[in-house]
Amino acid sequence: MSIARVRPAVFLPLLALLVAGALIVPHVANRGVVFLGGVVAINVVFGIAFNLAFAKAGILSFGNAMFFAVGAYCAGYLVTQQNHLPFVVILLAAAGCGGLLALVTGLLALRRASGVYFAVITLAVGALVHVLIMKLDFLGRNDGLIGVNRPIIDFGFFDLDLARGDAYYYFIVASCALLVTLMWVLWSNRFGRSLQALKSDPMRASFLGIDIDRKRLIALVLSGSITALAGAIYAPWAQIVTPELAHWSFSTMPLLFTLLGGSAFFLGPAVGAILFGLLEYATRSLVGISDLLVGGLLLAVVLSVPGGVLGLLATLLARFRASSSPQREERA
Amino acid sequence: MAGDLITILFNAMIWAMATFLVASGLTLVFGILHVLNFSHGGFFMIGGYVAYTVLSTFGAEIPLWAYLAAALVASVAMGGTGIAVDTLVFRRLKSVDGVYVLIATYALLLVCDGVVKLIWGLNYLSVSPPRELLDVLFLGGAIMPTFSIFVVVSGVVVFLALDVVINRTSAGRILQVIAVDPWMAGIVGINVSSVYRWTVITGFALAGLAGGLLVANQSLSPDLAGIFILQAFGVVIVGGMGSVRGAFVASIFLGLVEALSATYLPNYPGVLFFATIALVLIVRPEGLLSRQATS
Repeated sequence: MSIARVRPAVFLPLLALLVAGALIVPHVANRGVVFLGGVVAINVVFGIAFNLAFAKAGILSFGNAMFFAVGAYCAGYLVTQQNHLPFVVILLAAAGCGGLLALVTGLLALRRASGVYFAVITLAVGALVHVLIMKLDFLGRNDGLIGVNRPIIDFGFFDLDLARGDAYYYFIVASCALLVTLMWVLWSNRFGRSLQALKSDPMRASFLGIDIDRKRLIALVLSGSITALAGAIYAPWAQIVTPELAHWSFSTMPLLFTLLGGSAFFLGPAVGAILFGLLEYATRSLVGISDLLVGGLLLAVVLSVPGGVLGLLATLLARFRASSSPQREERA
Repeated sequence: MAGDLITILFNAMIWAMATFLVASGLTLVFGILHVLNFSHGGFFMIGGYVAYTVLSTFGAEIPLWAYLAAALVASVAMGGTGIAVDTLVFRRLKSVDGVYVLIATYALLLVCDGVVKLIWGLNYLSVSPPRELLDVLFLGGAIMPTFSIFVVVSGVVVFLALDVVINRTSAGRILQVIAVDPWMAGIVGINVSSVYRWTVITGFALAGLAGGLLVANQSLSPDLAGIFILQAFGVVIVGGMGSVRGAFVASIFLGLVEALSATYLPNYPGVLFFATIALVLIVRPEGLLSRQATS
């Protein structure tokens, strides 16, 4: 399936709709649902950042949890140990750490392996990061970091206290909307189109003068640092950072969102993350059923609707248009 | 000192053969179908639970024949499941990109986790070794439980059986032909799709057998699949994807790494293991032994 373009006239209203939906949540739902809403917003960024590398550059990473965890731990450590630092600096540091890890992984592995092999290398590197996190004293070993307080952002003329009420929730919605917009620009601009070219035909792309290895590396670093940012935003929201964030099974979450929603669509992972959030909420009390449901759903999507939910909708829409258009009637 | 060395070697062999038992089916299926099967660990785990259920009828004292019979039951049950998985999943993914196949088998792993949690619950379950294998041998200062020796012997026996079938029989020769070029094999009159089916059945039966043989080696929990699949992936990758001999050698190599790190870096379990795998992959992404790949 070809990668769908997203025009500003389509994207901006859709983003506004999502943000509006997210802003309504605290007024109509209880605290548990608000927490889940924040997690879903972060998952939207987590998923789209993965898909930026997957659908655009053809990089399948099974190690995105390590980027998320590195971001979360970086933010958790700096917030608890170096709390004089401004929160924006902490977020940038987290993004830098994630980007650095992605750079190292990419430099070592991206040129030598692709497809399934690259996926397995990221799996191994991710497992290494997980083990290291569990064993390092300053990262709290098995227990992780606790008491990651929500920060106060100092704007000079006034302080924004994110610890009060639902303030941090609104901060999450705003920063996630910003990150999604940034990724939309990357998806649609010249850089994104060159990634698409090298994915669909690497040889022709390199004849056209695209430096394939460099572009792929940049795509991975961008994906890694944005994922780390999502992790850094998550840390004060959960107020605890645990090694489970780095476990390889968490790496498959963005994959799940992407395939569920449709990897060919920019907002596919967003749709997937929201659907998954609803599904998780509906099955939260049923032990075993949730695994069965998630696994069965993912299997069904890969086997019968490889385009995901949005792909299915697009197909149905095209069919509906074809059957209702007058041209078709003339031919018939 | 000699005792330490023997202990390290022995521990290496226990880890190596337990992991090889799981990895053998994984590497077989990858060698022939080119499917890297995440769910292999899940079916290994279900095999263990099936053996547990069979053995729970015997009470505390389990005779060796019952233990072996339970492993056989698990093996047959998983082989049967293999037919269903092949029909419902693998056959339909033949024309799909390898990346999606990997994701589909991961989904199957989640289904396995769910099935185990639903039927057997979240608690840790355990089976004691058969009553003939509760002794301990002493060799030069090293302590060797007879059950651990049983695990090592099982691994070696499974390896020898597979190696003989692949390299010394006509069925094995057909397998090697298909591994190299399935299209050409079809032209010369080999029923490729039937060989694919039998490979999957054998691979899954090996997973079930491993689950049954190792059921007393560690406690059973829904985490078992994830732990073993990562170890088995490491062995399959380092050994050169799809090679049974490679997997055997790689399991011993990684077993040594694991035993050495358990002795000298006891506070950092797994660090050396994953670092070794990452290093091997980066230096030789096609695996250490891929040139000698047998199938």
